[in-house]
Amino acid sequence: MWKYLVKRFLLMFPTLLGVAVLTFVLIRVIPGDVVELRYAGDRGSVSQDVLDKERARFGLDQPLYKQFGRWVLGVARLDFGESMWTGAPIWEEIRLRFALSLQVAIMATAVAVVLAIPLGVLAALKQDTWIDYAVRIFSIAGLAMPSFWLGIVFILLLLVVFHWLPPMIYTPFWQNPWENMKQLIWPALAVGYRYSAVATRMTRSAMLEVLREDYIRTARAKGLVQRLILARHALKNAMLPVLTVVALEFAFLIGGLVVTEQVFNLNGLGLLFVQAVAHRDYTLIQALVMLVAGCFIVANFLMDVGYAWIDPRIRYR
Amino acid sequence: MAVARVPVPEAVEAAPPRALSRWLGAAREFCRARTLGAVGAAVIVVMFAVALLAPVLAPYDPEAVDFAAMLTRPSLAHWLGTDSFGRDVLSRLIFGSRTALMVGFGSSVLGATLGAILGVGSAYFGGRVDLYLQRVMDVFLSFPLIVLALALVAILGNSIPNLIMAIMVPMIPRSALVIRSSALAIREMPFVDAARAAGFGHARIVLRHMLPNVMAPYLIMLTAFLGQAVLAEASLSFLGLGVQEPTAAWGLMLRGAAVEFAETAPWMAIFPGLAISLSVFAFNLFGDSLRDALDPRLRTQ
Repeated sequence: MWKYLVKRFLLMFPTLLGVAVLTFVLIRVIPGDVVELRYAGDRGSVSQDVLDKERARFGLDQPLYKQFGRWVLGVARLDFGESMWTGAPIWEEIRLRFALSLQVAIMATAVAVVLAIPLGVLAALKQDTWIDYAVRIFSIAGLAMPSFWLGIVFILLLLVVFHWLPPMIYTPFWQNPWENMKQLIWPALAVGYRYSAVATRMTRSAMLEVLREDYIRTARAKGLVQRLILARHALKNAMLPVLTVVALEFAFLIGGLVVTEQVFNLNGLGLLFVQAVAHRDYTLIQALVMLVAGCFIVANFLMDVGYAWIDPRIRYR
Repeated sequence: MAVARVPVPEAVEAAPPRALSRWLGAAREFCRARTLGAVGAAVIVVMFAVALLAPVLAPYDPEAVDFAAMLTRPSLAHWLGTDSFGRDVLSRLIFGSRTALMVGFGSSVLGATLGAILGVGSAYFGGRVDLYLQRVMDVFLSFPLIVLALALVAILGNSIPNLIMAIMVPMIPRSALVIRSSALAIREMPFVDAARAAGFGHARIVLRHMLPNVMAPYLIMLTAFLGQAVLAEASLSFLGLGVQEPTAAWGLMLRGAAVEFAETAPWMAIFPGLAISLSVFAFNLFGDSLRDALDPRLRTQ
């Protein structure tokens, strides 16, 4: 077990390094840099000399490997530097936005799990009946509707039916939970529906597989009541792949809310990323990508560890 | 080198006989056994017809601005109303199907195919090549699809071919991953050894002998990508990073004025969203049924 753990742990680093290098190169391929964009307003009136000085201040005049080395050394000390656009420390730029995106992701996960597990189990138990078909159509529809459009529809319905709009200004949860929820519940529902569709399909197929196992037949044969068979034997074994899907989707949601945030005017990580790319704010982009990819890589690692812990056979792969 | 070539056994090289009639038979069987999938396929066929016949079907020029008819509600003259520039929503929807299909099919076919080649190659060569390729794929897989596509659009600029590129790239590792695992089993098959013994080059073995045998997972990935690609295109266009005005695209139609005038002109916000949902729904229905028909083991994915 330990050997597997250490090996799997060490495997995270080349991936993270790869992400860092790829981002580093990619963003520098984008035409234009932060200095050029900042002075784009008064084009011509700024001398090349000033531009060069600004570039030197950010270290952009140095060879790429030197820039990268400096950045990696900073990251090793958990110092992501300052935003090239605003000059504020990266941590400050990200903190509030991260809290917001994280909260929406957690709420969406809650919506997804609450919907998906009962629906998926029900569909599996009533396989090939109208209930099964209804659940499947509900979930395929969830995959088909873009969540940003669902968000627009929610806003529209709230406007037309209740003549009410969710608040457009963000209130942190610990300041005023009620105001906060009134705003964030809608994006969470819009994203959660799609997310639940993925999880429902997984629950259904995992349950179907488990219900065919011999130990379920044994449990039935010895006269165990249906409720106990489901709770003790079937659900427990079917949950593993469902948890996988939920965890991976969650990790992706933290950075993947880009479009939904736009609809609800949420100043989250996604919006920050779009702005950072528009400003060519290299340090901010790098930090954001590392955060988002890092979340995913760590989630993946934790899942593999969880799997190995639950199912010893996996360690010997 | 003048080594005498061993005559190639028929079964190794030749395409299966009467391929067309077999395909037709399979299609008929598919329609009979998978009604939902056939419905999806029918919707896709209709979409293609609409896209091809767009100039004939559309009642107006999709880009013609008419300030006398701004934001008019659905009527006989404009079945689905007009937008804030007085452009006919129905005509824009009809022409938008061209954009959606072009980007959807373009990126899915390219992404799935390149991924398949990489996946099969990775499995065939094994060892170091496999190990390094897998690590590179891991790196690409750690980005959410939309984030990677966004960065690529920023680099490439937003024309339709660039949009296809940007959506295709994140699909490559996803396709490679699945197809590699199927190809690993195929590499052990005797016919691959036979091809190697016959002295064929690596490229020939990978492309002509192994690739055709991963058709099932390839088609499954391809159809799964179609819906995602249409959604990704809509999302990018909605963010203003995809297709640009005045070209008709569904995601673009939801941008800006559609949200601003949501209360007074809800048709602007509702119909493009329905078009996106319906087409992705159809792609997914078809893809799901195809997956069930081709490979029951993959149902859990």
